[in-house]
Amino acid sequence: MIHNPTNEARNTSYCRVRAAARSLFVLFVSLVFALFQTSLTAQNLAGDMALSKVLIEGEDWQMVAEGFGFTDAACTDDEGNFYFMDLGKGTAIQKISTAGQVSAFLEGVPKCSGLKFGPDGRLYACTQGPTGNLAGTAKKQVVALEVPSGKLTVLADDVQPNDLVVSHKGYVYFTETGKGQVTIVDAQGHVRVGATGINAPNGITLSPDQGTLAVSEFRGAAVWVYRILADGSLDVGAPYMTLRVPVGKTDSGGDGSTTDSAGRYYVTSHLGIQMFDATGRLGGVMEKPSAKGCVSVAFAGAGHGYLYACASDRIYRRKLQAKGVLFFKAPPARP
Amino acid sequence: MDFTQSCPVNHRLAATREISTPGPALDRVSSPRPPGRVEKWRLTLGLIWITVAFLTAQRALALDDYQLGPDSTSQVGVPRGELSRHSFASSKIFPGTTRDYWIYVPQQYEATKPACLMVFQDGQTYAHSNGLFRAPTVFDNLIHKKEMPVAIGLFVNPGEVRPAESGQTARSNRSFEYDSLGDLYARFLTEEMLPEVAKKYNITSDPTGRAIAGISSGGICAWTVAWERPDAFRKVLSHVGSFTNIRGGHVYPALIRKTEKKPIRVFLQDGANDLDNLHGNWPLANQEMAAALKFMGYDYKFEFGDGGHNGIHGGALLPDSLRWLWRDYPN
Repeated sequence: MIHNPTNEARNTSYCRVRAAARSLFVLFVSLVFALFQTSLTAQNLAGDMALSKVLIEGEDWQMVAEGFGFTDAACTDDEGNFYFMDLGKGTAIQKISTAGQVSAFLEGVPKCSGLKFGPDGRLYACTQGPTGNLAGTAKKQVVALEVPSGKLTVLADDVQPNDLVVSHKGYVYFTETGKGQVTIVDAQGHVRVGATGINAPNGITLSPDQGTLAVSEFRGAAVWVYRILADGSLDVGAPYMTLRVPVGKTDSGGDGSTTDSAGRYYVTSHLGIQMFDATGRLGGVMEKPSAKGCVSVAFAGAGHGYLYACASDRIYRRKLQAKGVLFFKAPPARP
Repeated sequence: MDFTQSCPVNHRLAATREISTPGPALDRVSSPRPPGRVEKWRLTLGLIWITVAFLTAQRALALDDYQLGPDSTSQVGVPRGELSRHSFASSKIFPGTTRDYWIYVPQQYEATKPACLMVFQDGQTYAHSNGLFRAPTVFDNLIHKKEMPVAIGLFVNPGEVRPAESGQTARSNRSFEYDSLGDLYARFLTEEMLPEVAKKYNITSDPTGRAIAGISSGGICAWTVAWERPDAFRKVLSHVGSFTNIRGGHVYPALIRKTEKKPIRVFLQDGANDLDNLHGNWPLANQEMAAALKFMGYDYKFEFGDGGHNGIHGGALLPDSLRWLWRDYPN
């Protein structure tokens, strides 16, 4: 064989390439092995829903509106616009568009401590008595407001509603905090008892499949869950989640609550927003947006990927690795 | 951590074995050797062998290469007990829940003599004949050798609340039943499950003749039952027990140290590669439990291996742990 420097160079570089490829292959095998182990460890942690998996590095609370008296009744629509009421000094239901623009949505309505859109497009509300031009006429009621006229239909009179949630079937579940009761009313105004014996029920939300109702205790430390039967009634309740309570207190201050599409529950409380996984285990406590507290939350904004919070005189929002659920829509069929 | 459904462990072992001997396979994929470049080839070969050695060592060092022994295998000439499947759906303590359970009755059982009892949480995991524990087979062998007393096995699955409509998810009650502190689950067993078993079988009322076992959340559950009701259960077997803050169970070491000693015998198993997550660190928590039990002079044994969050080590140890728990019964 004739000695050919060019050939040798070619061979050398060829060999280098092969060696490098081989090393890379070995590295690849090791990496796959390591990743495989990691993913199996992750399987062992099935259901491990730490708060850290929901929070996004560098995405803290952002103030989106201010100058109110006392904000409450967080809710959203299909597009991700955010709605709330200023219980302190407002006479209108406020809207914050996904672009961040604040406007009066429905004016001259009673004070609403709970708001949710129903499957019929109406806005359902727990009213706390008169404001503005309705002074002297409105009582504590559960009502449905037509959009955009604001025409009000009373569904439940002589009740003490605090907060509500509306299912895609049109059943309205509302907390009567003083009575320790969840009450159900349908679009025809037929009122019935849902569940009793809850220590100051306050926040109320559903599971993504709308088969379970969750209710937070304000004076106790439990979040109760109930099965929702086909006719909308509730049964087999259990104190499924336990809220963390401030040292020296017996009341958690459990308040407005919401759900994400993975079935996690977010419950506002004295200590912050407490997140639970679908099996009722506390995943972590999110800091309140401000020291003034936070009583109501809802997923809204683009893709319903932001948690909006009613925090006293201000509204905040925070991007999360989680998406909200629209209960006025039928849940997607399970694969 | 639902052991009734997932058992990824065997897959991992299989995969480890496959990947840990890649030498020949790599030889086969290597190209024809360019002439006069032996050194380069040796270098590559060396690199491959280093990797192979590393992977093999990793397998040898770690990770749950515990094996089942003859006591976990059916033996010729050993009478086989009967395992029957049942379901329970009328709990008042956990309203709306349904669950399966299994009753194991050894051949040696005589209705006129009260039998001992051992209750297993995540019952299916322990009762399965090809699982990691194979408790009925272990019972057969140990009872036959008189290394444990004639005992009825009760294997109880966690409850679930079935949804009202199709397409909806059942409410899993496992964490609520197993991880919660307090006497709710103990009452479920003593007031609802044991009377079901007692309808057909004669079970001892002597608490030293009644043991309770579980894995992961079922492990802390077993401990909680004995802690709440030492008048009903005085023998505990915990595998990779979740003595962590899933629902407040991390406080047990502190409670044990400041509570008058209870007449409970405990066998704890855990591994150095057990979980470290938002709820806590399992290896540390189990070591804390062992230290508290030691401090208070409990009759305890702690087997701390190198396994992860699974039943491999606990399964291999099951015959020994049962021998230890029942060693001097009825004393």
